[in-house]
Amino acid sequence: AEYEWSFQASETSGEPSFKIKQEWADKIETMTDGRVSIEVMPINSVVGPTETLDAVSSGILDGHMTDPSYFSGQDPAFGMLGNLVGAWSDPYDFLEYMKYGGGEDLYNELIEPYGAHNIASATFPLESVPTIEKIETIEDFEGIKIRAPQGMVYNIFERIGASPVNLPGSEVFTAMEKGTIDAADSTVLSNNDAMGLHDFAKYPLYPGFHSMPMIDISINKETWDSLPEDLQTTLETGFDAMAYDLIARLKEQDLETLQELKENPDVEPVDLSAEERKKFREAAKEEWAEWAEKNDMTQKIYDSATGFLESRNLL
Amino acid sequence: MDISTATMLMVGAIFALLVTGLPLAFITGLVAMVFTFGWFGTDALPLVTSRVYGFITEYSLVAVPMFVLMASLLDRSGIAKDLFNAMRVFAGRLPGGVAIQTIVVAFFLAALSGIIGGEIVLLGILALPQMLRLGYDKRLSIGVVCAGGALGTMMPPSIVLVIYGLIASVSIADLFAAAVTPAVILMGSYIAYVLVRCLKDPQKGPPLTETTRDNPFASRLDAIKAILLPALIALMVLGTIYGGIASVTEAAAMGVFGVMLAIVIRREFSITMLHHSLAQTLNTCGMIIWIGIGAAALVGVYNLMGGDRFVSNLILGMDVAPIVVILVMMAIMLVLGLFLDWIGIAMLALPIFLPIVTQLGYDPIWFGILFAVNMQVSFLSPPFGPAAFYLKSVAPPDIALKDIYLSVLPFMAIQLVILAILLLWPSLAIWPL
Amino acid sequence: MSEKSPQSTDITEVLETVEDVSPERNGLDRLISRGARGAAWMILFAMGISVVEVFLRYGFNSPTSWVHETVVFLVATSFALGGPAALAKNSHIRVKVLYDNVGPRMRHWMDRFNDLVILGFCITMSYAAFHLFWRASHNPMGDWQLERSGTSWNPPIPGLLKGIILFALLLMTVQALLHFIQSLRATPEERT
Ligand code: NA
Ligand code: NA
Repeated sequence: AEYEWSFQASETSGEPSFKIKQEWADKIETMTDGRVSIEVMPINSVVGPTETLDAVSSGILDGHMTDPSYFSGQDPAFGMLGNLVGAWSDPYDFLEYMKYGGGEDLYNELIEPYGAHNIASATFPLESVPTIEKIETIEDFEGIKIRAPQGMVYNIFERIGASPVNLPGSEVFTAMEKGTIDAADSTVLSNNDAMGLHDFAKYPLYPGFHSMPMIDISINKETWDSLPEDLQTTLETGFDAMAYDLIARLKEQDLETLQELKENPDVEPVDLSAEERKKFREAAKEEWAEWAEKNDMTQKIYDSATGFLESRNLL
Repeated sequence: MDISTATMLMVGAIFALLVTGLPLAFITGLVAMVFTFGWFGTDALPLVTSRVYGFITEYSLVAVPMFVLMASLLDRSGIAKDLFNAMRVFAGRLPGGVAIQTIVVAFFLAALSGIIGGEIVLLGILALPQMLRLGYDKRLSIGVVCAGGALGTMMPPSIVLVIYGLIASVSIADLFAAAVTPAVILMGSYIAYVLVRCLKDPQKGPPLTETTRDNPFASRLDAIKAILLPALIALMVLGTIYGGIASVTEAAAMGVFGVMLAIVIRREFSITMLHHSLAQTLNTCGMIIWIGIGAAALVGVYNLMGGDRFVSNLILGMDVAPIVVILVMMAIMLVLGLFLDWIGIAMLALPIFLPIVTQLGYDPIWFGILFAVNMQVSFLSPPFGPAAFYLKSVAPPDIALKDIYLSVLPFMAIQLVILAILLLWPSLAIWPL
Repeated sequence: MSEKSPQSTDITEVLETVEDVSPERNGLDRLISRGARGAAWMILFAMGISVVEVFLRYGFNSPTSWVHETVVFLVATSFALGGPAALAKNSHIRVKVLYDNVGPRMRHWMDRFNDLVILGFCITMSYAAFHLFWRASHNPMGDWQLERSGTSWNPPIPGLLKGIILFALLLMTVQALLHFIQSLRATPEERT
């Protein structure tokens, strides 16, 4: 191929979303008549997940398809746009914001100085919260030991009275199994189920309400700028299509899992009411306002995202 | 240069550098560096240091210094001595009795922790000098420590199984359940091997005479008293994990805390002792971790060179029965196990193998158990055998790396036999599911 | 309670000899060894705060936001510094099959070769580590800004750790240079 690229993803090779990313890389090869060949590599295969931005800008990797929250330590704006906790109740709303509400332009304003260009953004369906204790109201979070790794989600759980515990992903399973923690900010319902979490986390909260990480599909900026326009358009169109495909297919899996869990007499999925979701969003909004003050970029993201949510009557 | 030539060059370079006596810590790193430079140029060199950063911040490694510190403290206080003197009393006249006790202790340690290394350091400091002093065969004693100490990553809660579960997206609970029987079989086989060797030739593990048994405890009651405190510590650590108080990694720190408490209670505590133990811990970690750093860098650059696609095409290109494909995968992992640690193998091989395994219709849980047993072999196999490095870092100086590798050979053979048995009878592992 | 059996002192002696089996080759190595013994107390601190976290979380239901990251930082730092420490004591593990079976002249050349290779490795690694650290200590505008962890506590741990990796590798480069000069100057008889 004329262009042979390595893109590192943020999933392990066994996860369904990784396979979907690979499928779309193949489709792009077909769409470009073999001129562009992208190899999608699993998490940690070349560099660690927090290091892909540096690797893309220095040309070690050609691109990444990853969660921008990994770069929150470089600029909190990555965490803010990458996972505005509590803001979204539907992944399609988020895509609408990114693609038509100015989100992607803002993201490129943020990432381009780092030497990378965002081709397209995608996202997952909302994550489910596996819990051992039954939680039906936001007040029930009081005193719940919940694993929460990243900044914003940690602080918001603290705001609603939970006791967030900073544990790495590899400790989640054993800690929940033994009851060291009561709940976890983990991943989507079907993935949690595949891990076996519902053997003891009998009250998963679904549909989700808190976390919905963005997927940033970025490429080295010099490479991008040197591409002919037809390839740029094909890449943008292809990855935009992937964003919608990803949501639809992962949602289908979650719904299948939900059906199985409902039929399982030992598990009782809990759907938080609209009022409870609103309470969570109010706590979250206070946290966004604090993050907004961190720098110019976080303020811009706050204004833009809350403006969009208000215009759609979502806030 | 194509990737197959590069692969052979890499392996060749590692062997060539080994022979020169260059420290192992620099060999894999150097090869990674040379290939990064040769394949991608100067701009890509930070890839190697990026892997260094990723490796040393690996959360699962936090337990390593804790276990090494625990071992060192137990040894410098009188606890270790009392513990094994007491074991001597209970070992009785059974040939190889202390070696068998060591394996049983190793098995319980394995249920406590999920990482390689800590247990080997612990047993290497506690059990090995004891066995040597009692006149046990050197190779048998070393083999028992290495093979027994490696069980930690087979018995739940094992980090190897957790990482496999996360990579394969399969139930970690199922993996834990499936791993118990094979782990017990491994332990049983090691015990059987020791018994057979010692019954045939009692000089390998001389049974204790009345005089050695009685010394230094006046009675069994005294012996029980001596092991009471360490037993309480062990219970406390186990209790914190199974009681949902501490995570697996935190439990290692709780263990150190417990040992320090016991030392204070026994009035054996001194700052000098603590200082020496800490210094030994840092040095041991330096030796061990820097070997892993090079392997981590090598995996990163090999993946970027397209090594993963090369291996994948190699397997997919074969037109053979499905079980032969699994056999080839096992063989590839055994070869990788010569040079890489388990994290490296998991990152390099599993993303390639797992899709093929499921495509062929095999149970990924079963494959996970095969992987775990395969990793047991890799811990022991020369020239890069982490178990050997851990032991070497604390063993008496007259024990050379060569002695350790010769000692683990029969235990590697046992592991391979059990790997074959699990290949033929998957139900031995997956029956609880 | 039990009288000290003569064998028990053996273990301690054996251990002390392990520590002294490869004495440092020069003043810098001795200095690094001493510094490493001091740095090793970080491991005890990591243990202590882990225990505090467990007590606070289980006993008072108030887990901390800082223990986990601090523990990883302390342990990673001790791993990084363990490299120069082990180099100072010449305790990095080698396969000595050939080395032990050749004459003093050949062994002398092997020493020179190894010290040169280690020097080259450390120089290249330091170069790579410099780039890693530069990116972690400057924002895209080129201003000084340490990379942070992005968590709720948000300490500059990634930036610091990348600096510590650079520091460890620079130390090892100087060590390797001195070792190489020593082995160049030495006669075969001195280095056996
Ligand atoms: Na274990
Ligand atoms: Na090995």
